[in-house]
Amino acid sequence: MSEYIVEMKHITKRFPGIVANDDVSIGIKKGEIFALLGENGAGKSTLMSMLSGMYEPDEGEIYIRGEKVQISSPNHAANLNIGMVHQHFKLVEDYTITENIILGIEPIKKFAGLFPYVGIRGANRKIEELSKKFGLEVDPTKKIADLTVSMQQRVEILKVLYREAEILIFDEPTAVLTPQEIDFLLAIIEGLRNSGKTIILITHKLEEIKRVADRCAVLNKGKLIDVLDVETTSVNLMAQLMVGREVNFESEKTPAQFKEEVLKVEQLTVKNEDGFEVVKDVSFTIHSGEIFAIAGVADNGQVEIADAIAGLIKASGGKIFLNGQDITNDSIRNRTESGISYIPEDRQKFGLFLDFDLSTNLGSKQYYKKPFSNKGILNKQEFDQFGTQLIEKYDIRSGQGIKTQVRSMSGGNQQKAIIAREIELQSPLMIFVQPTRGVDIGAIENIHRMMIEQRDQGKAILLVSLELDEIMNVADTIGVIYNGQLQKVASSDSLTTNEVGEYMMGAKHE
Amino acid sequence: MSKDNKKTSLRYRLLWPIRNEKWQPITIPVASILFSFIVAAIVILLLGKNPIQAFYNLFQGAGIFPKATYAGYKSMLTDFLSLLDAMTPLVFASLAVAVALRAGLFNIGVSGQMLFSGFIATIIVGYSGLDAFVAKPLVLLIGMIAGGLMGGLVGWLKYKFNIHEVVTTIMLNYIAQYVISFFIHNYYIDPVSRQSKYITEAARLTLVNFEFANLKMDIPLGFILAIAVAIFVKFLLDKTVVGFEIKAVGSNRDAAKYTGIKVGSNMILAMIISGGLAGLAGVTYYLGDFASIQPKVLTSLGFDSIAVALLGNSHPIGIIFSSFLISIIDQGSTYMSSQAGIRQEIASVIIGLILLFSACGAYVKHKVSRLKEKEVDRKDSES
Repeated sequence: MSEYIVEMKHITKRFPGIVANDDVSIGIKKGEIFALLGENGAGKSTLMSMLSGMYEPDEGEIYIRGEKVQISSPNHAANLNIGMVHQHFKLVEDYTITENIILGIEPIKKFAGLFPYVGIRGANRKIEELSKKFGLEVDPTKKIADLTVSMQQRVEILKVLYREAEILIFDEPTAVLTPQEIDFLLAIIEGLRNSGKTIILITHKLEEIKRVADRCAVLNKGKLIDVLDVETTSVNLMAQLMVGREVNFESEKTPAQFKEEVLKVEQLTVKNEDGFEVVKDVSFTIHSGEIFAIAGVADNGQVEIADAIAGLIKASGGKIFLNGQDITNDSIRNRTESGISYIPEDRQKFGLFLDFDLSTNLGSKQYYKKPFSNKGILNKQEFDQFGTQLIEKYDIRSGQGIKTQVRSMSGGNQQKAIIAREIELQSPLMIFVQPTRGVDIGAIENIHRMMIEQRDQGKAILLVSLELDEIMNVADTIGVIYNGQLQKVASSDSLTTNEVGEYMMGAKHE
Repeated sequence: MSKDNKKTSLRYRLLWPIRNEKWQPITIPVASILFSFIVAAIVILLLGKNPIQAFYNLFQGAGIFPKATYAGYKSMLTDFLSLLDAMTPLVFASLAVAVALRAGLFNIGVSGQMLFSGFIATIIVGYSGLDAFVAKPLVLLIGMIAGGLMGGLVGWLKYKFNIHEVVTTIMLNYIAQYVISFFIHNYYIDPVSRQSKYITEAARLTLVNFEFANLKMDIPLGFILAIAVAIFVKFLLDKTVVGFEIKAVGSNRDAAKYTGIKVGSNMILAMIISGGLAGLAGVTYYLGDFASIQPKVLTSLGFDSIAVALLGNSHPIGIIFSSFLISIIDQGSTYMSSQAGIRQEIASVIIGLILLFSACGAYVKHKVSRLKEKEVDRKDSES
């Protein structure tokens, strides 16, 4: 028998127009934590999708425990004791933890030997045992809707453990967690390994790999670059291999020079559609030349703050001043005119008209005024000129230039287009919400550079991000939000990552 | 494997006429029209008749090809003018659907808006005895305003109370149908025809039995206007700020709001324009060819226009052509049935098929682009 529990040999997988995996061969030993490292689109998830039965490879062979297999479906993978913990949870909100876990493989019992029913109590017990064994600490009778994101993730882990998985694949498991939750998860993963499970960890976060992984395969553009022994490899080398060139982790930044006050938010309160206060009594100011970042776990009201400033949702209380002028009740258009640029979180839903071409999208915030239109008649030439100029200036790549339908562009280039459009508005206040979500490392670097450039040109910048590294990296001032309230506002030099994490959890407050 | 490859490339080669994406807005409707004629031909063959003959008769009846004989005062020209007369309200109605569609709204109430505006114009101008030069423009104006108000109401209900426009337009169809039929029955009924009393010649938008060169023809005055309006709608949608906003709202409501466009007022505006166009369809229909309103009946033209707009890709110029084609089949069907002995309903079958195939257009487009990608892939992997 070979030393590997999983062996993938010469795997090639093509999708229309792209080779997602190109002759990739890896072997994973039983009882190790094996990390797959690569940028977005490097082919990590595709490779693992073939192991979990979502796709079949075009070429190459898969061996499990030394036997050649063709994994045709996720059920088949489960029979081979392979389980995947997905990045996006697949849970029924209204069901309890147990109900979610046993869904599809319900233990059927018979009442009086005749009437079948689901043996929920036995399942509850079994799940509680499992949860204790691996230190997951969940109450199986709780409903998913009442759980935090990290608890939901533990349910996903239990789901695969309940199906007796021996090989567990984690797809970007820490993307949605706070630093403390990440610590806890990594401890769970180590515990799983110590009890004999084999772990495959898909990630692009080097520091996690360094902490828990034994070995690490680096993928770049679908090709396997190298398999490294984590202990003897430096983080910098891993990063270099991943990106294919040297990477600056720390954005180069001159000290901030705060000038006049641009944005002033006073006791802002925002209600969501259900009338629930999602932002409570939030006050802060941003100066010209300052990057103010709001740190927090997802859904703690930070996006609503940005939306309220841009005018997409109404403030139910408090006041917003831009350059000393009260804009609390202004229309979105008037706010844009008074000087707000907004890079929204969901670029496809809010930021772009996917069916319009690139030049139309680039001009979509200025179409109503000269020179883009005159007396209500659009000037198409101006759109085209403006578009061509921006494509060049911001290196936006697209198939057919300004005439490209935005839908067909990659996520990174869509984001570049939005940022280009918003920077060109020359607004004194720029709001960036999750500007680097789903874009690859090279593009992230570029976006950070642009933000700092704008700051140095005297813009006031509000950054909302879930990536703590990003915030620590670029922010001058950090406001930490928890449950709709600002817990702490301080200069970024005076805070450590851990402190911010504690505020984010509501564990510490002023 | 190699056999599979060949099959793909054969399929790919067969698709060459509709492969170029730039031309797809034209090639796909044309292909669906051809397909429907082929399928209709098979149906006619199964009935034991000659399809070529039948199609020829269809075009003869519509005044595109000359008939063998004509009755007194009739010729190919009079047939052709009748075709244009029937086509005029269809162009307006389809434009109404298209403008709403561009704003992301589904105006299924064109029939109701037509009836309402036709009725209002009939009772205000139709029986007034006004001079033709005043009456005719007034009819058009009143039609536009009445339809626009009714469309605007739909838009306003959507904006204010978030009531889906499909619900309101369907309900308003019923309300218009029965309320108007009440008024016709009580005040405007012609006891012989059981319809509303005929309007004055001065108010009619079709010049009936106009004598010229020993022919008696019906001249549709609204036709020129229909073409002009189609061109205007194209200009409005493609070249103006108003059109940009309407299309933005239709393409992505959230992004439109984010951009600073007032989504609500643009939806209302789009529905006013749509209703106004439906109003023009109403007056050219009820005060044109018919000169009277049949109570309790909604014209099917308002519903056909949905399909005609889709066949024309919701594009104003495309709609002129699709209306022309559908009107030909409709108008020619009587002659076809009398000449070829094929039931008139076959014409409806052909129209149905065309609409069915053109409704598949988006799917075909998707399929073709998939095939294209595969083909590129295959070439890559071979070389």
